[in-house]
Amino acid sequence: MSLPGLLGCTSARERRLNVFNWSDYVAPETIPNFEKEFGVTVTYQTYESNEEMLAKVMAGNSGWDVVFPTNYMVVPMVESNLLARLDHTKLTELDRLSEDFRRPSWDPELAWGVPYMWGGTGIVYNPSVKPAPAHWADLWSDRYGGRLTMLDDPAEVIGACLLKLGLSLNSTDPAELEKAKQEAIAQKKFVRAYLNAEVQDQLVSGDVLAAQLWATTSMLAQQANPQLQFVYPSEGFALYCDSAAILAESKEQELAHEFVNYLLRPEVSAQIATVTQTATANGAGLVLMPDNLRNNTTLFPPSETIRRGEWFASLPADAHEARDRIWTEIKSA
Amino acid sequence: MRGLLKVYVAAAYLFLYLPLAVLAAFSFNDSRFTVWQGFSFRWYEAAFTNAQLTSGAVTSLLIAVTSTLFATVAGTLCAYALWKRNSRLVTTTLYLSLVTPEIVLGVALLAFYQLVLGRIGSSLGTLTVVLAHITFSLAYVVLVVLARLRTIDRSLEEAALDLGANEWQAFRRVTLPLLLPGVGAAALLAFTISFDDYVITSLVAGVDSETLPMVIYAMARRGIRPEVNAISAVIVTVLGTLILVSERWNRT
Amino acid sequence: MNGLRRLFLAPAAVILVLLYGIPLAIVAAYSVLRRGAYGGVDAALTPYNFARLADALYLTILARSFLLAAAATLLCLLLAFPLAWFISKAGPRKHLYLSLVVLPFWTSMLICMYSWMFLLRDTGLVNTILLSLGWISEPLPLLYNYGAVLVGLVYNYLPFMVLPIFAALERLDPNLLEASADLGAKPWTTLRRVVLPLCAPGVRAGAVLVFVPSLGDYLTPDLLGGGRTIMIGNLIQNQFTASRDYPFGAAVSLALMSVVMLLLWQLLKHDKDPLL
Repeated sequence: MSLPGLLGCTSARERRLNVFNWSDYVAPETIPNFEKEFGVTVTYQTYESNEEMLAKVMAGNSGWDVVFPTNYMVVPMVESNLLARLDHTKLTELDRLSEDFRRPSWDPELAWGVPYMWGGTGIVYNPSVKPAPAHWADLWSDRYGGRLTMLDDPAEVIGACLLKLGLSLNSTDPAELEKAKQEAIAQKKFVRAYLNAEVQDQLVSGDVLAAQLWATTSMLAQQANPQLQFVYPSEGFALYCDSAAILAESKEQELAHEFVNYLLRPEVSAQIATVTQTATANGAGLVLMPDNLRNNTTLFPPSETIRRGEWFASLPADAHEARDRIWTEIKSA
Repeated sequence: MRGLLKVYVAAAYLFLYLPLAVLAAFSFNDSRFTVWQGFSFRWYEAAFTNAQLTSGAVTSLLIAVTSTLFATVAGTLCAYALWKRNSRLVTTTLYLSLVTPEIVLGVALLAFYQLVLGRIGSSLGTLTVVLAHITFSLAYVVLVVLARLRTIDRSLEEAALDLGANEWQAFRRVTLPLLLPGVGAAALLAFTISFDDYVITSLVAGVDSETLPMVIYAMARRGIRPEVNAISAVIVTVLGTLILVSERWNRT
Repeated sequence: MNGLRRLFLAPAAVILVLLYGIPLAIVAAYSVLRRGAYGGVDAALTPYNFARLADALYLTILARSFLLAAAATLLCLLLAFPLAWFISKAGPRKHLYLSLVVLPFWTSMLICMYSWMFLLRDTGLVNTILLSLGWISEPLPLLYNYGAVLVGLVYNYLPFMVLPIFAALERLDPNLLEASADLGAKPWTTLRRVVLPLCAPGVRAGAVLVFVPSLGDYLTPDLLGGGRTIMIGNLIQNQFTASRDYPFGAAVSLALMSVVMLLLWQLLKHDKDPLL
């Protein structure tokens, strides 16, 4: 490592791109192939939650170039001047996106992020659990012997509680949020822990019998333990879409655009989605995926199921603070 | 009674070493899971060929060596000055930095860096990590060196001064050689603290400074990774041996 | 001498002022400022952060952290004392024994925490052994609760209690113990009325060195507590990362530091040099 490198300066000759992504969101060949083709080095690190990512980039001088915010994070990040406006002339593969993601509600012009992968949140469970859970309400029960986990994510947990009460996932009404909070606190005695993707391992080994988990992560767990089952709860479920976005602070805007464009290539997208078992927002990539994944109802639920889903929406700043406090109250109850 | 004490002590050491023993044992397990399936070196192979782990180890090493160097020099000089004549202010501040919870020091440095770096257009990186490590290692170095100094006879320096040496010569040619084992122990301590640190490092690290503990944290969060066990076993063995050797040397 | 001494003190002084004093001062400043819209800090003075801290929710977190840290300290004391006693009476190999106590700590807290998670899980070693011995029929929930956090805290900070107590025992004059026995005191009485009072400085130092880090530890409750338990350390870490509320996090940090400084002041009042 050179001394300038040690001091955090970038050398003019060695082009470097810094990508910060969710874990399990690229195939093993994705990054090396990009590095070879464009003759650059990529620093690739991962995070487990939006909050973790935002904490790093918030100050505006984190050093990252490309990040992958979930759809409801895009607007807050734009309002905090964290994202760079996308230059569509550099994104030649943009028309590869599926119809549904060409004009998404959170960013109709696709000015700030390119939809990357989408999915839903449901319940993954071990078939030894009887009766099998089919509603969020089923997670408020001790049939799991305490071997139940929920996501370590305020939006998801509060969302599940709201859905259980028949309310909207994105509610900002204080009374409704208060009720959701009470539900979450009541649930705590059945919950072993709040874990994100790290719960996979315990699902596979049987330490955990049921978990609130994203469809894609559940697919990975099912790969390791085919007996596990996944269900989208009857009361409704959260839909999210992670987009590739470029940070305003990035000094490699050009290269970052090349990378985002590279991710849009059908074969690249298909490879990633196949290896990571995710639903890609890339229509052209979708057709290249193997049949068993394309027809998989967990990743690509049929329309009757999708209708129960609700997209996460961007919330105003004070709503964020209210939910934040509720989350602290839930965690410390 | 004596026998009971021995049983208790054995149990206490078992408690202390159980996690490490288990870690080592399963690093040789020929399977990814808890069930024992035979002895194997495959996870060691996997660990050393894992690019993330090796680059993390190199980064950690670099940071540890740099911060140890500066912390040891600054700390040794400081300990010597305090030995000559104590300063309540300095000692108290050092004790304070010793007991300050890591999270508080971490967030304070983060806030400081973001303010300062924002002004000069730079970002978190290896330098910010090194500076943080020097800060929290300092008190430990001073403590160890001071302990060693307390075992050195003051009159030796006085004799040197009487014989015409100046203060610097007295320090360098009389005290310092006697001090070396203590300095060595302090340096090793600073090195291990720096190498192992997670909390403060994760807060102030930049894009290019992913240290080994950070890699381990990220990997182990995702589940049992025997490669992590393997590399942990290596670290524990190497550092452990160094510490034991250093302790021996410091006792002379 | 003064010139050389000042020169020697300079590097350490610069480090302490620039990288310790100033950052803490910044935290103190943030604690009275207002949070920006989506994070960050607005230059507007407000006592809101401290007022918020006085809320029952946060006071509970503080209280719970105190209790847990106190429990860990007490356990450490009970476990460390016999161990330190044994080591100090172990003759020529006492320093080896002492190094062996300290070794796990210096080789990596993070790795040891993961080992404990591995040991305490439902399918972990402890449960597997208990099940195969037939002592239990269902795995015990050993992980992701306060018990597990307590085990973690004790494991991490035990050496900090052993070392000062060992040092205090080393300074103990064996003649005093003999004299006590000669005067007819039973071993237990000697322990209670001669040894313990003389070891008080070591115990005090050990108590502070275990209590304070336990109070501010966020990694142990995070990993071993399964995200179910919020302690002061988690609260602070949260504010500076996920919640992006620097001012409130600063207020909590300041509250924690006040406790730390109070304890340290008490300790240094009794004992000018607690560790040496």
